[in-house]
Amino acid sequence: MSKKENGAQWLLLTAVFVIATCGLIYELVAGTLASYLLGDSITQFSTIIGVYLFSMGIGSFLSKYFNKNLLAWFIRIELLVGMVGGFSSALLFIVFPLAASFRIILYAIVLITGVLVGLEIPLLMRILEKKVAFKELVSRVFTFDYIGALLASLIFPLLLVPHLGLIRTSLFFGILNVGVGWYLAHHFSKEIKQVAMLKTAAITLLLAQLVCFVFSEKIMSYSETMTYDDNVVYSTSTPYQRIVLTKNKHELRLFLNGNLQFSTADEYRYHEALVHPTFSSLDQPEQVLVLGGGDGLAVREILKYPSVKQVTLVDLDPAMTKLFSHQEMLVRLNDSSLLNSKVRVHNADAFTWLRSNKTLFDAIVVDFPDPSNFSIGKLYSTSFYQLLKRALRPDGIAVIQSTSPYVAPKSFWCVDTTLRAVGLHTIAYHNYVPSFGEWGYIMATPEEPHHWFSHLPAPLKFLNPTTLQQMLTFPEDMKAHQLLDINKLNNQALVKYFEEEWGKYLEH
Amino acid sequence: MRRRSFIQSIAGLTVVSSVIASCHRQRVIGGSVIGASSHTGHLLRDKRFAAPVSTTEHAVVIVGGGISGLSAARHLHRQGIRDIVILDLEKEMGGNAACGKNDVSAYPWGAHYVPIPNNDLTEYIDFMRECGVITSDAAAALPAYNDYYICFDPEERLYINGQWQEGLIPHFGVPAPEKAQIQQFLDKMQAFRLAKGQDGKDAFAIPLDHSSKDPAFTQLDSLTMKQWLQQQGLTSPYLQWYVNYCTRDDYGTPYDQISAWIGIHYFASRKGKGSNAAHHDVLTWPEGNGWLAAHLKKELQPYFRNEALVARIQQENDTLAIDYFDVKESRLKRIKAQQCILAVPQFVAARILQDEARIQKVHQHIQYAPWMVANITTKELNERTGPPLSWDNVIYDSPSLGYVEATHQEIKQGIHRRNLTYYLPLTNHTPLEERKAALERTHAEWVQLIVADLEKVHSNITDAIEEVNVMIWGHAMAKPVPGMAHGTIRQELAAAVNDRLHFAHTDLAGNSIFEEAFYQGLSAAKKVMTHLSGNI
Repeated sequence: MSKKENGAQWLLLTAVFVIATCGLIYELVAGTLASYLLGDSITQFSTIIGVYLFSMGIGSFLSKYFNKNLLAWFIRIELLVGMVGGFSSALLFIVFPLAASFRIILYAIVLITGVLVGLEIPLLMRILEKKVAFKELVSRVFTFDYIGALLASLIFPLLLVPHLGLIRTSLFFGILNVGVGWYLAHHFSKEIKQVAMLKTAAITLLLAQLVCFVFSEKIMSYSETMTYDDNVVYSTSTPYQRIVLTKNKHELRLFLNGNLQFSTADEYRYHEALVHPTFSSLDQPEQVLVLGGGDGLAVREILKYPSVKQVTLVDLDPAMTKLFSHQEMLVRLNDSSLLNSKVRVHNADAFTWLRSNKTLFDAIVVDFPDPSNFSIGKLYSTSFYQLLKRALRPDGIAVIQSTSPYVAPKSFWCVDTTLRAVGLHTIAYHNYVPSFGEWGYIMATPEEPHHWFSHLPAPLKFLNPTTLQQMLTFPEDMKAHQLLDINKLNNQALVKYFEEEWGKYLEH
Repeated sequence: MRRRSFIQSIAGLTVVSSVIASCHRQRVIGGSVIGASSHTGHLLRDKRFAAPVSTTEHAVVIVGGGISGLSAARHLHRQGIRDIVILDLEKEMGGNAACGKNDVSAYPWGAHYVPIPNNDLTEYIDFMRECGVITSDAAAALPAYNDYYICFDPEERLYINGQWQEGLIPHFGVPAPEKAQIQQFLDKMQAFRLAKGQDGKDAFAIPLDHSSKDPAFTQLDSLTMKQWLQQQGLTSPYLQWYVNYCTRDDYGTPYDQISAWIGIHYFASRKGKGSNAAHHDVLTWPEGNGWLAAHLKKELQPYFRNEALVARIQQENDTLAIDYFDVKESRLKRIKAQQCILAVPQFVAARILQDEARIQKVHQHIQYAPWMVANITTKELNERTGPPLSWDNVIYDSPSLGYVEATHQEIKQGIHRRNLTYYLPLTNHTPLEERKAALERTHAEWVQLIVADLEKVHSNITDAIEEVNVMIWGHAMAKPVPGMAHGTIRQELAAAVNDRLHFAHTDLAGNSIFEEAFYQGLSAAKKVMTHLSGNI
């Protein structure tokens, strides 16, 4: 065998090695991504590896239909594998929000790479069959194939995922794949027709993948914006939360950690219901405390009462209150409430702040996120409500947003039970906010006031004496129908109810 | 030669990248190893001291500022005694209730919680009321505990069979027959909790010496916990792991070494009941029992002399000559005292008294368990499936006891950095060997050991760790082996010397818990009072 022939043989075997490594890497990327995004890693990995191996079988079967220009086909397939595999994880990240078709695309990619890799080995063996003895050929080709697989399975978890991340791992191997394709085309340029076209395709692919590799971070964030229905107009991560604003023709929406906080289409329903039942039952409220509510929308409603002399707003996140004090669109929405001279903003932890507070308030509005974790659960505990009671004047009223009594009746009434456990009188009510569904609130007072709902300001868009009365009635499907635990720091009963009820609801 | 160069370059690439990876993994993690002043302490064993340079006189000297010593001093102070000196080797008083603080939170260096007190412990409950742990007044039928100090939920989790489960009693992936055995065991412990002896006393009480002497129970002190489980046919490996975990956790002693009576005492002696808490609840603070120690210390500051190594105590006619080495001034000083309480472990007391017979007796009968405690400051940790970060986080079948999270009792939102206090009783070899090995181990070696353990549950632990500080407790506590609780050795060692020298330490109580230390100090102080009253 000539030296040149020998060199060609080893070059092609190197290609086998690269293909085997890349092929397995693409499947590992697909399996990992599917586990990340869909969960249940055992199912994801076993179905993906199964589909991959089966597709390789299809590829091997199809190889008999290739009869001419085997080397050119081999290079074309090499480039195709590099393209499909290299872009696979970027593509999967982007299409994930289109949840319904995600699995189809996932398995299509696995199928295509499997078929292509499956084609390559038989083609290569046929290319080399005249150059090497059959015994040697089989031994060499499969040795390189399996060594490639071993290398892939070792470096993937140890090096690639921790250092490159998934998108860049698949792009890196795509580049490698295409690079080998280009080199083969270059090396065998005399034996292949239309070699210039192959080379151009390879270089174009290489450039595209390099660009993607550099901008992979952007792809990640683009895929995040895709999880929202509308255009993301603003997003930021603060030490406390991720704030995202989205906008379409009709409405602006605020998301905190992916949870909808309000939509401009119907936030008035929520904020009127949160504020006015309490304030209309107070005689000349002057000192007001708002806990949470950094969007200033509750404060906007509160400032409709001219007797109010001071509103103290305690919100954890300075980024929130700053955003709603300065961003034009948002300031218009809250009527510049946070800039009002009556309003004092404290960026502090509500529990810690309340523990050291000495002031007595006529009204307290508690607008915290839902009790979805043990940290927030503390803000709904007897210990917190004891502090709340201590901060209220005897004839004052506190109101607490208390999640959905329709989705989570046990959670809602657990808040009520907890407030009563510290000796507060409570009145529960609810209304319909289209963006949220049925929503619930609880008013709590040390002493029951004399004139409920007697001072409603005009004009309001949702509340009037009639709607108020309706809000006080709870149908059977919004009742708990069982004795509920009091939520304490050492039992976190509410978080458990909340997880159970919302978990079940979101399963549908 | 293409093939070889190709393989070489691949091999080279792998080597280079694994070197890069390992450099990255083995980034230097800051922190240091802090001993409980073992170097200064060993002067007592190794140094010959010259004559004292000064002499002062005081009514009472307390040697040792741990909980026993502080409790004794507090009682004396309350009785109007002001001429007190408390000598302690360390920079801070507090003994095993030592604690520290960084920009994240305070954290414990040793004992980190107390259970709800038994309701018959009047003086202890009064102390709890005084420091605001109990919020109801003495007239209340049941004490109300401060909600901020009862351990918040989620309290405990165990990493077992590939995921976290709630609580430390194994249940996830435990086969039904073993679950049945665990239940049997818990039922037996409940029966022991309620049991009373022929003499009408509780079978298992706190302080331990208030327990019944009924041989039906005290005979359990002649076998180990493991033997007792074997006798009862409780052979479930999951149950045995749990029991062994508990005895190592409270006493630094494996279940095949600990007295069965003491092992059961751990489960059966807690009977406390409050209006908002029960015997299984615990009281805890970010700094652990350092919080309680701080309350004990409050009115005692004027009596403290820290970094004072007591070298010897001699009888001189009707006074005691107490010589101590002032570490800061590097000089020996003498105090003449009418009464002295030795609130130190017996191996130290014997050396101070220069009493060969006592040294031998302690050497024969008492073994001290060495511990390693590490405080780990971390950023956000990756989590495995199951319940979220809890107060106590334990890994099944780990040599360690897991870790306690110091910010757990904080009420504020948005905690992203935490202090994890990691406990490792050194029980694989003899205490002597373990102690020696522990003192030789470098900071990097400790960190490696901790990271290897915690990596099972937090995949990003190496990157998340900011700092690890390590404390070696060479003699953390006396091991309650068979014969300690109901043999004669404790009485022999606890007997006062000439009505002047009294002993107070959990060594002599039989088990190392806060309540025992509190009452050890209290009863020694009461003895001192009876002898002082004639003289003052």
